[in-house]
Amino acid sequence: MSIKNKINSILEKRALILDGATGTELQRRGMPVGACPEVWCLENPRIIQAIHSDYRRSGADVVYTCTFGANRLKMEQYNVHNIKDINRRLAGLSRDAVGKKAMVAGDIGPTGQFIKPFGDIDFEEAVDVFKEQAMGLLEGGVDLFVIETMIDIQEARAALIAVKEITDLFVMVTLTFEEDGRTLGGTDPATALITLQSLGADAVGCNCSTGPEGMLGFIAAMKPYAKVPLVAKPNAGMPEIIDNKTVFDMPPARFASFGKEYISTGINILGGCCGTTPDHIRELKKEIQEEKPISPLVKSISALSSAGKSIFLEENRPLCIVGERINPTGKKALQQELLDGKMSIVRELASEQKRNGAVLLDVNVGVPGADEEKIMRNVINFLPTVTDLPLVIDSSKIEAIEKALRLYPGRALLNSISGEEKKLKRLLPIAAKYGAMFILLPLTDKEIPATARRRKEIIQSVFKEAALLGFARDDIVVDGLVMTVASDSAAALETLKTIEWSSNKFRCNTVIGLSNVSFGMPQRKWINATFLAMAGAMGLTMAIANPSSEEMMNIKTAADLLTQKDKDATSFISCFSGISPSVTPLIKGEGGFSPEQKVFQAVLDGNREEIIDLAKEALSSGAAADRLVQDVMVPAIVRVGDLFDKREYFLPQLVAGAEAMKKGLEYLTPLLGKDSPEQKKKEIILLATVKGDIHDIGKNIVSLMLRNHGFNIIDLGKDVPAEEIIKRIKLSQPAIVGLSALMTTTMVNMKDVIELARAEGLDCKFIVGGAVVSRSFAHSIGAEYAKNGVGAVRLARRLCEEFLDTN
Amino acid sequence: MNRLVFFNSINIPAPKEHIYGRLGYRKGKTRLLPHQEEEIEHYFEDALTLINLRGAGIRIPIKEKISSGIVLSTGAAFESKRLSAFLKNCHEIVLMGATAGGDIIEAVRKDSTGNNLTRAVVFDAVGGEIVDASLDWIMDYYNRELRRENKHLTAMRFSAGYHDFLLENQKIIYDILQLRHIGIKIDENFILRPEKSVTAIAGIEDIKYQNEK
Repeated sequence: MSIKNKINSILEKRALILDGATGTELQRRGMPVGACPEVWCLENPRIIQAIHSDYRRSGADVVYTCTFGANRLKMEQYNVHNIKDINRRLAGLSRDAVGKKAMVAGDIGPTGQFIKPFGDIDFEEAVDVFKEQAMGLLEGGVDLFVIETMIDIQEARAALIAVKEITDLFVMVTLTFEEDGRTLGGTDPATALITLQSLGADAVGCNCSTGPEGMLGFIAAMKPYAKVPLVAKPNAGMPEIIDNKTVFDMPPARFASFGKEYISTGINILGGCCGTTPDHIRELKKEIQEEKPISPLVKSISALSSAGKSIFLEENRPLCIVGERINPTGKKALQQELLDGKMSIVRELASEQKRNGAVLLDVNVGVPGADEEKIMRNVINFLPTVTDLPLVIDSSKIEAIEKALRLYPGRALLNSISGEEKKLKRLLPIAAKYGAMFILLPLTDKEIPATARRRKEIIQSVFKEAALLGFARDDIVVDGLVMTVASDSAAALETLKTIEWSSNKFRCNTVIGLSNVSFGMPQRKWINATFLAMAGAMGLTMAIANPSSEEMMNIKTAADLLTQKDKDATSFISCFSGISPSVTPLIKGEGGFSPEQKVFQAVLDGNREEIIDLAKEALSSGAAADRLVQDVMVPAIVRVGDLFDKREYFLPQLVAGAEAMKKGLEYLTPLLGKDSPEQKKKEIILLATVKGDIHDIGKNIVSLMLRNHGFNIIDLGKDVPAEEIIKRIKLSQPAIVGLSALMTTTMVNMKDVIELARAEGLDCKFIVGGAVVSRSFAHSIGAEYAKNGVGAVRLARRLCEEFLDTN
Repeated sequence: MNRLVFFNSINIPAPKEHIYGRLGYRKGKTRLLPHQEEEIEHYFEDALTLINLRGAGIRIPIKEKISSGIVLSTGAAFESKRLSAFLKNCHEIVLMGATAGGDIIEAVRKDSTGNNLTRAVVFDAVGGEIVDASLDWIMDYYNRELRRENKHLTAMRFSAGYHDFLLENQKIIYDILQLRHIGIKIDENFILRPEKSVTAIAGIEDIKYQNEK
């Protein structure tokens, strides 16, 4: 009986029992802190063999080889290089210790490095590293493999691909999740499961994350989507020190008491991680040996994943929009960027489409004459770092598709596989190897069928081929094959028939390339939006379209509601109600706002968008510009400052109020009378962020606030040398000089400026401020201190009065 | 010495409470109207699309510890009594660095010179706080590895430019971590650019020291 069959046969009756911790057992039995466990075990073979034997005797069906860190990237820190040999020998020790009475799992742990796109190690290098280790383990006679304690889904993928490329032995993959339910790399349990089981893992789960209580939630999150057995290896709680020894706080009986709950939650394979001992495993086995585990609940699943999230294509979910914009056709700037290896437009397109409601992103990088495989590799190594939306790999080049599927740290959707013989033969095995879902395009080398009837035949024929490689209907998305109504008036109806049959009879997901339907027609957006709603009613799963089309997205939202895909109308209501924010009146009197009050309120609310229109309204209602500034806007900005002082407003509100004021003033200033205080000579304040400091946002806020209060600001910018400031003081004769610095290392440069000014006989006042500047420091260098923009305004007013009195 | 680890994309949620706190928000005191909240949240999302958190870290044994500083196994020396005291229970350190990338800084620069200072203020706070949070993430990463060795990082970390640990030490850290590799530059004043870039040192302690405290 093969090992796979043996494991499956055990799982039909009871949970498979794994061993407990190796590392903490080695420490308990004398391995010194800081030793390399693999080397120490080879030097002390009896100890590791005793651990294996103890676990076997306590009831473990499987023991892990002591090769957790035996990969070349980890071992080089111990100056150990004979990786294959070490793995082979350690596997041999395990085999000899347990004989045929237990199975030996070749243990593969993380390299300690992050793999591209999340780290610096090339994906193929990582595959190579794991392959080298796995070959040693295989030579040492392991029965199965376990890839464990992974925190980076891409590293787990690399290890899994490495093992599967050299053997078809049973492979388990377990990841370590933090308390927030994600790996450090940001992958949640269900997403990890979707990605790894589709890539061919025979069992998936978690280890080491927490004690047994904390891990149950991760298992529960995986179970509904698992088509493979689930594995758990929790810690025996967290380490504590008693009498200067590290102990774990969960005794064997308590640890084992969680066993039945694990089984009822859906675990199939169970053992222990850090802190667990042969006693924990013995107790655990006793507790669950009569319990029958729950078999995987699904045989196939329609789900796509990125590194950070999964999209489940369930029957009643809202129609998915696949953003179509990452496509260089007709976009010269994008074409050039892709050729130059730059990604800023790709980044913008990904963000914009997500913001507009795309659920998946189609990636097409076909630039005529370019190396598409290379560009695809660049884009696939980049996109997962800026978006969590799963990708649709769209290319006519087989090599580019294969590269993308190999590198993509999730389960992608391949766009597309048709009945064209060459593509069918080459792409189906590629999609199967990497576990991708694929879009089934119903056309062949000989025809682009015009009728739904013929399309059905092609769909069935392609699916028959796919099924031979293990694909289920859940793994495919049938393309309705959209043709333009401009050349065939029946085209849209044939597509709708194809969708209806595929959704309701063939029972699979469906997709359309929406905009094709209106090609060559005027006002295409109406045709597109209407067609989308009609296809939605036929059961359409997804549409490849531009999510920035407001008409289309609005109609999609309405169509979801009308086809019962928007539960409790939540999306529709959130989309269409309460769009225009109402301003909460802070000063509203009886009879609502007067035009002047609206201007006051606009400053108070930081309403930069409407203040000019509101000022115009106030002027047309008879208010004078001077009065509007002096009696309305100035009190409003003073009120904003008061609210900020009282902490009722925070910084963005203060700045928004100041920006609204600035806009209003810019509009009103040309309309002010000659005698207006705004038109009189203004006091000059010179501002600079001192030399060495590039952080000037605080100085910019102060500048804005001072301008609003009628000062004439000369802003010298940031990183300004003392000599330059002195030169400008002599030139402009300011009443006040404001200096800012953010860091302790640069605030001392303020002192240089003031000393130089005094040495030059300049008697202007200095105000200093910045995150690390204090009042006492300011006084020690002969300056006044302003804590923030509001304080700077008050201080500047006082100092200017003093300046005027003395001049 | 372990290998230098590069983190090309650190995926963490925005530490909202810290960001609001940095901007002066006081729970129960600050009044935020719905449209203002919506605007700020929108800026949050925009900021996140402009941030590409990258980092680097390395474990290095301490070769020598004296009261006036430490010498690393690489030969690099840090002169600082406070740092030496901070690492009194450690035989090894982790050097770490991180950046929010240049796009967010460029957006702050553009916005703060007149375009939209309100947005610039929010972008600046998001960038500042998230890059600090990325160092927390790097520490979590090392702690996970260290736990298996019965070790732990010091709860706090130490940065150049504070107390008697002079900013010029940042150049040593910069070079060891090869921070240019993740797009960070250092100027003649030892300031990292882009602006939202940070470095720090944490000590590695045996778990017993953690518990003895």
